[in-house]
Amino acid sequence: MRRPRGRLLAESVALLCAAAVAFPLYWMVLSAFKPEDEVLSEDARPWTAHPTLDAFRRVFGQQDFGRYLGNSLLVAVVVVVASALIAFLAAVAVTRFRFRFRTTLLVMFLVAQMVPVEALTIPLFFLMRDLGDVTGVPGVGLNTLGSLILPHIAFSLPFAIWMLRGFVRAVPESLEEAAYLDGASRARFLWRILFPLVFPGLVATSVFSFISTWNDFLLAKSFIISATENSTLPMALLVFFKDEGNDWGGIMAASTVMTIPVLVFFVLVQRGLVSGLGGAVKD
Amino acid sequence: MGGTGGKGGTPWLHLAPALVVLGGLLVYPVYELGLISFLEYTQAQVSGGEPTSFQGLGNYRALFTDARFGQVLLTTVVFAAACVVATLAVGCALAVLLTRIRALPRLALTLAALGAWATPAITGSTVWVFLFDPDFGPVDKALSRLGLSGFDGYAWTYDRYSAFALVLLEIVWCSFPFVMVTVYAGIRAIPGEVLEAAALDGASQWRIWRDVMAPMLRPVLVVVTIQSVIWDFKVFTQIYVMTNGGGIAGQNLTLNVYAYQKAFASSQYGLGSAIGVVMLLILLAVTLGYLRLLRRQGEEI
Amino acid sequence: MAWPSTTTPASLRTLVLVVVGALLCAAGAGGCAPRTPAGGAGGDRATGTLRVWLFREVDNAPKAAVVDEAVAAFERAHRGVRAEVTHIPVETRAQRIKAAFNDPRSAPDVVEYGNTDTAGYVRDGGLADLTADLAAWDDARALDPAAKRSVTVDGKLYGAPLLVGVRALYYRTDVFRELGLKPPATLDELAATARRVHAARPGLYGLAVGGAYTYAALPFVWAHGGDVAERKGRSYEATVDDPAARRGIAAYTSLFGDHNCPASRCARMTGNETVQAFASGKAAMAIAGDFSHQAMENGKVKGAYAVVPLPGTREGRIAPAFAGGNNLGVLRSSTHRTLAVDLLKSLAGKRTQARLFDAMGFLPAFTDVRAEAARKRPFVEPFVRTLASGARSVPVTPAWAAIDAGQVLPTLLQEVVSGRADVDAATAGAARKMNAAFRKNGLRS
Repeated sequence: MRRPRGRLLAESVALLCAAAVAFPLYWMVLSAFKPEDEVLSEDARPWTAHPTLDAFRRVFGQQDFGRYLGNSLLVAVVVVVASALIAFLAAVAVTRFRFRFRTTLLVMFLVAQMVPVEALTIPLFFLMRDLGDVTGVPGVGLNTLGSLILPHIAFSLPFAIWMLRGFVRAVPESLEEAAYLDGASRARFLWRILFPLVFPGLVATSVFSFISTWNDFLLAKSFIISATENSTLPMALLVFFKDEGNDWGGIMAASTVMTIPVLVFFVLVQRGLVSGLGGAVKD
Repeated sequence: MGGTGGKGGTPWLHLAPALVVLGGLLVYPVYELGLISFLEYTQAQVSGGEPTSFQGLGNYRALFTDARFGQVLLTTVVFAAACVVATLAVGCALAVLLTRIRALPRLALTLAALGAWATPAITGSTVWVFLFDPDFGPVDKALSRLGLSGFDGYAWTYDRYSAFALVLLEIVWCSFPFVMVTVYAGIRAIPGEVLEAAALDGASQWRIWRDVMAPMLRPVLVVVTIQSVIWDFKVFTQIYVMTNGGGIAGQNLTLNVYAYQKAFASSQYGLGSAIGVVMLLILLAVTLGYLRLLRRQGEEI
Repeated sequence: MAWPSTTTPASLRTLVLVVVGALLCAAGAGGCAPRTPAGGAGGDRATGTLRVWLFREVDNAPKAAVVDEAVAAFERAHRGVRAEVTHIPVETRAQRIKAAFNDPRSAPDVVEYGNTDTAGYVRDGGLADLTADLAAWDDARALDPAAKRSVTVDGKLYGAPLLVGVRALYYRTDVFRELGLKPPATLDELAATARRVHAARPGLYGLAVGGAYTYAALPFVWAHGGDVAERKGRSYEATVDDPAARRGIAAYTSLFGDHNCPASRCARMTGNETVQAFASGKAAMAIAGDFSHQAMENGKVKGAYAVVPLPGTREGRIAPAFAGGNNLGVLRSSTHRTLAVDLLKSLAGKRTQARLFDAMGFLPAFTDVRAEAARKRPFVEPFVRTLASGARSVPVTPAWAAIDAGQVLPTLLQEVVSGRADVDAATAGAARKMNAAFRKNGLRS
């Protein structure tokens, strides 16, 4: 029963905000499709009459760009899946069990989120080097994708556990008791009943691990030293920042390519995300 | 509470993978970070050219007698606070706005916000720098066309405050969606009658927010505030990319970038680690303060 | 479970204990430092794959072609040996090379490095001492002494110069003709000329200068009779706050401003950006290297520029240029030491340097090869003349690497240019930082 005038005003404001928020992305995509002389023109126009794929051609023509894209996807997917599974188990433990140090652990998980990751690059470098030297397992150690995957799992776990708690808790305990009465084993309850119920929450959580992994360029820059075939996407983006003048068209095209997978992922999980975040903090 | 299977070892079995990963790849490196902060540790020690020596609190003494560090620390606190406040204000305002509009404009705003959220920090920073580029960016052109001729070819990253303002805009842009979506979900969970009753009383939107919504949303707000504080205090990519590693003569340095410059650019790993430890302690204090606050209010964690 | 509301919760106490405990443990455990890499010196295998890291240049294909040819010849001469060349982006070099020192398994055998990095890399224990290996190298006799100094630390050779780089004054012949100007003969004239161009052509920087362009500022300091530091006994002492050096800094920073190169644009410019400004036709003059020649040829100014040595304070003088250049070295961790030295001799030898000059315009580090190059391409004449009149360098000490990484000189310039400090205060601050670095990294005997 709100006054239509007020609502109209609110909607205009909302649309204006939407336009303002979307503008940087619009400009990114636009510049990616502009011919180079228009991108580097003093007269920046919000449209182009001559869309071209030149910038994308430069990006994909760059050596191994496809491979970097694949590496980035592989790392992100492994991190998302592994951290979701591990966090799920841990979240079950801290919500469904009562044990000594439970609250300490929870506080630890919160504290762990505050660790400035950039500062850990130094100790992690030596850890990865020694892991490779000592274990000799292929795929672990410097210059491997494993050296990116392992730390990112660790970085995303605390937040994931912290968030998943709410979802696990939202599943009524009576359900659990009923399952046991029906003779279900603990494992069966966990994976067949609880897991599907918590899945939307897992999706919402995985958005964060996906983004932080996908974004990373510090670890990629520091750990992938001589095996360039194991580089990831942000390294490819850096190539277009040149001392002799940035190739803005190429940067925008590469940025577009880098943003699209995340956007797709977001749109796919959008519903779960909105309800998920609500669930996580509602309690 | 307590599940039926909650006997002895089982929770630890569930926790084992998480604890192994966190212990090995987070706790141990943090321990090493603390250790290195007490050492004379530069490139020469790292690659074995010179022996490592124990410095005690030497690195910390060097930090706290360094006028630069105090300045950077203050800047970081003020800047993070500004980011948190701006992000929360924008996020909450738009969340309330979302509840007052029909599905289509709501979808438009939500999608735009998701787009901003999904943008990787490195590409987001790059795009914003390009938008505000004095030569090729549309913003300066638009402002000067609106009659603000002083903005024609204005170099945003030259002045300390306009550079910070630019970074702040980018940070708000990419982090308000989390606040908006979360708070919106929270508002949706408030029973409709409560809000309608308030609206019928003729209370203004601001009053409804302050007296009705905010108190009911407290748990949600606490979560988004803690998250924002943690994220904004640690901001790295935006400053590093947008101000080119800390700005002209280091005017835009924040702690995380300063630590990185000390550790990696200057190879003073010990000093860089000490800055990392100081950051960690500050964030720890903030979080513990919050937890105490929660506890006093009888909230559950 | 809710927080108990009366006492401090056990969990908080535990947490604080853990944190304090960890810190105390760390404090007490000074002895158990993180490990240092196992491999100091490497080995001397006679077969296998050699890894080579070279810098990736702006237009890298011709360089890669010359290198590939030299590598192919090397592989033919050594059976069962392969050399794998990676052209690494220059801006990632510091981190990569540090990482290579830290992890011998990732490290290359032969590496290209900037000549200001020599002392730092040696101090870090990364480069192999090649004095004995290069003693019998015929080519080495014709090495330019300044280039040879740039691979020498405490009397030992840590590599071979690959190319030398020196900067001079590029100017626009068309603009100068239209405005009736002559190439400046002194630094004062240079400043006056820059003002006149900018006044007549507001769209152009008179002389493109950069607050992060240290190598353009140093010649001003040297031309005014100053220096950034001088040797005192076994260490160095900053002299950047001496009156002569201050005059040089003042002369350079006075070029920033609305009369020539607005501070809001130019304060953060790097050398490459000033080169780019000139190449794209936005500046009437620039201080740029022989190695930037190709960028100019590819830019808008092709055919409309010329080069003269940067003048000194008095007519007929040349401002001492910064003796830049890149060297090749062998890493201490190399497992193919003899092979690596052989490959280094081939890549940094007279033949390859001559071919690199033809392909890339890199000035050879051998005086005879360089004279030949100057005969072939008159373009390099002003650069060769600048070199001949005496190029200078920064102190060869590990401390310089720290000063460089700490951005001491760019900060000094930017503070003055942005009006945050005057020349006296800024140079005094820079001198303090430099002296701290010199004390900390005192020369080893």
